[in-house]
Amino acid sequence: MIIAEHLTRRFGDRVAVENLSLEIAEGEVFGFLGPNGAGKTTTVRMLAGLLAPTAGRAIVAGVDVCAEPQRVRLLVGILTEHPGLYEKLSAWHNLKFYGDLYNLPNPEAQIEKYLNLLGLWERRFEPVGTFSKGMKQKLAIARALLHEPKVLFLDEPTSGLDPESAKTVRDFIAQLASEKRTIFLCTHNLYEAEQLCTRIGLIKQRLIKVGSPQQLKRELYGRQIVIDLKEPISLSEDLQLPFVRNVQANGTRLLIQLDDPEAQNPVLIKRLVELGAQIQFVREHDRSLEEVYLELISEEKP
Amino acid sequence: MTLKRVRVLMMKEWREAFKGGKTIWIGTVAVPFILLGVSLFQLFQFGDFDRVNPEELSRVVGALFLVPLLYFLMFPLVIPHSIAIYAIMSEKEQKSLEPLLATPLRTEELFVGKALASILPAVGITWMAFALFVGVVWFLLPPMVLEVAWQQFGAIWLMALGLFAPLAAAFMTFASMTIATRVSDLRTAQLLSSFAMLPVLLSAFFLVFQHLLGRPMLLGLLALGIFVLDLGLVWLNVKLFGREEILTRWR
Repeated sequence: MIIAEHLTRRFGDRVAVENLSLEIAEGEVFGFLGPNGAGKTTTVRMLAGLLAPTAGRAIVAGVDVCAEPQRVRLLVGILTEHPGLYEKLSAWHNLKFYGDLYNLPNPEAQIEKYLNLLGLWERRFEPVGTFSKGMKQKLAIARALLHEPKVLFLDEPTSGLDPESAKTVRDFIAQLASEKRTIFLCTHNLYEAEQLCTRIGLIKQRLIKVGSPQQLKRELYGRQIVIDLKEPISLSEDLQLPFVRNVQANGTRLLIQLDDPEAQNPVLIKRLVELGAQIQFVREHDRSLEEVYLELISEEKP
Repeated sequence: MTLKRVRVLMMKEWREAFKGGKTIWIGTVAVPFILLGVSLFQLFQFGDFDRVNPEELSRVVGALFLVPLLYFLMFPLVIPHSIAIYAIMSEKEQKSLEPLLATPLRTEELFVGKALASILPAVGITWMAFALFVGVVWFLLPPMVLEVAWQQFGAIWLMALGLFAPLAAAFMTFASMTIATRVSDLRTAQLLSSFAMLPVLLSAFFLVFQHLLGRPMLLGLLALGIFVLDLGLVWLNVKLFGREEILTRWR
């Protein structure tokens, strides 16, 4: 659904995005992570037909963004970093304006559908300036969806929202994903990315890594098993297991790196018991995406 | 360019501008009609036109109709000022340009829609004010007043309303939009665009007081000068209204 090949954008001497290539399949929720100024918004603007790339090309929903940017804009929906609503107009008039710009055959029905879905129908004739931040964000999402786009670009959809509103928005994104829409999600919220995204791309001008949250964690740290013991044991003696890649002992806790814990855990546990270990708990060490993110971003030279 | 999208944008501008508070209502609708009311009041204050001899009538009409003429030259410059600035500044303040540019709206449609949203009311209100003025004079004053006025002012009225008003409204709109794209503060935009208005307004007033009566073509020459300025401002605005320019340079 989205193909980018060597996409590059410069502003004068400054390189905002360099040589970005990626493919996103239909129905995928792709998380785009990176520090401020890493080129996330510029990438979205290029893919949505708002900014022309300096070099490279991109195909979105089957349309070349360089050759037919206006057609791309018809096929994609975008939630910008700021809701960008007309505060003096009502929710209804905000959406009606956009519905008319997209030349929708029945904009009223679409407006009713999304205002109802996002719980704003009762307040449709009130000026948007009186809405809470969460309500404005929901209205901006409704605006992005009004013309039923195949591809949705969401830039920081839960930024600045209270936990309840953020959850509502996340649930709604999950619902959209279940409708097989392709979602390109720029976020700083790593929990959100891990919850919603099938794959994640890390960018800092260049695309650093792409993969599922699990893949990224494993690629960086391998798989680690945490074993809690009743009493500390001395591991001065080697475990004598060739598949064990690394062992860290910290009091009653062992952190052991394995390639294939499902197959190797029984052998490992048996060996530890032979060495006198009294095992209380065994679990896989789940690295947070935040650790992966910080590690990968810090590795990348500025 | 799709006229429907231009119309949709124009309607949005009007809806938003006139919900924008008293300033725009006062500047665009109230002030012109108040000024016109004052002029009509002065006409009625004069008393009985029937008792004045023809020579005296010609002199009186020449004096009494001069101030309304100034208003008809002033309205097309003053009215678009607030709407044109608001059309740009409100988008910048609300950060609504990016979602707007993400729609199929073309940048030329954006420019034309926003420009027409202030040119049309300016010309429309000027014409309406003139029609109201002439209608009241025709209906409430002796017929010879309008006859004498037409002899003296007819050609200038036609030139002022038919040529000067649309071109001056376009000039003020383009100038205000250009300024609004370059500054980040509403008051600075208003101040700078008022300065842009002054040379044209003063030239028009100078012509009226010094040379215009009997030589309406001078106003035509002024209109031609404004037309040249309009072309220059359109050229400049075409550059300023590039999608990338808006996204990266409008602050």
